[in-house]
Amino acid sequence: MSSSDQPYIDPSEIALESSAVERFKSPSDAFWTGMRDAAGAPAVVLFAGMVGFGAMGRTNGFDVWFTTFTSFFMFALPGQVVLFEMAITGSSALAIALAVTLTSTRFITMTVTLFPQFHHKDRNRSLYASVHLLAMTAWAISMREFHAIETKHRLGYFVGLGLLCWLISIPGTILGFYLAGMVPPAVTLGLVFINPLFFLLTFTEVKPWINRIAICLGCIFGPLFFIVDRDTSLLTAGLVAGTLAYFIDRKFLRKKAGIIG
Amino acid sequence: MANALSGWGLWIALVGACLGTYFCRAIGVFLSSSINQDSEIFRWLAAVTYAMVASLTVRLIVMPLGLMATVPLWIRILICALSIGIMISKPTRRLVPALLAGTLLMVGYGVMR
Repeated sequence: MSSSDQPYIDPSEIALESSAVERFKSPSDAFWTGMRDAAGAPAVVLFAGMVGFGAMGRTNGFDVWFTTFTSFFMFALPGQVVLFEMAITGSSALAIALAVTLTSTRFITMTVTLFPQFHHKDRNRSLYASVHLLAMTAWAISMREFHAIETKHRLGYFVGLGLLCWLISIPGTILGFYLAGMVPPAVTLGLVFINPLFFLLTFTEVKPWINRIAICLGCIFGPLFFIVDRDTSLLTAGLVAGTLAYFIDRKFLRKKAGIIG
Repeated sequence: MANALSGWGLWIALVGACLGTYFCRAIGVFLSSSINQDSEIFRWLAAVTYAMVASLTVRLIVMPLGLMATVPLWIRILICALSIGIMISKPTRRLVPALLAGTLLMVGYGVMR
């Protein structure tokens, strides 16, 4: 623990010494607060995405087990949509696994930024189980709230948050799957449209220029590579556009102080 | 759907995808005590991820398969533009209204045709 005359290195230590100490009485209190914080706009958006995914599975001829298993074991919407999209266009299992793994590399960054904020006693092997609950929603809320939660209750809060997100994604998927078969085609159209629209809207919130360039280049290269060779086009478009954006950022943008902020 | 992956190949792809996804989560836990999140490899990985999701999104909107392909391209693009307009109309988060508006517009188009 830093004493007052030392500079703070870890931002999490600042909050510990202030009012945040008494935010939760017990681990279960933290857990249930996490659940309550997830149950709102974040859960609605995630649920809608999973309903859309279920509808996508139905309209593309996958069975309900395959669709639900995907949500249960992957719990990563972009990767799930990549899997379905590539399976429909007939890509090889290897190309699919590679492309999905690459879209999931964002979890490495998320874990590396979030997990060091847990109490050192919680940082044991059990984290390899809780990490499955990590997804964009839980990560964003945790990053926002953790500074106001004492370290020993952070894991409980995170598990409550992530567990609710994971648990609602399963009924969401099943609901979407069966809805798509029952409701009029107009509603199914809306359901299938949820995910592309959701991804598109989240792009407007991306701040770093390197990632904005990557998105623009991906939008250009995606269709181009699809025409050239559609089996591997997601993989190649992502790698080429992402690498190009990285080098543009490295060569030109990083030197200009005003742009990266 | 003629050349779609099916049967065992499909399940093998799912297992591979699940393992790959979990592997990324687990390697994050493993590295979380020792690595700097600002390192070059993470900048590159983030750029590749965004580029890949962007090309996926464009493909789903511009060159979709199945049901969505029956909607004219300009309708799809118009609805996307309107939703983005709602989203950026206020600096605070407007994700839910924008998503809802876009989805309802698509349903509305489906009802009208």
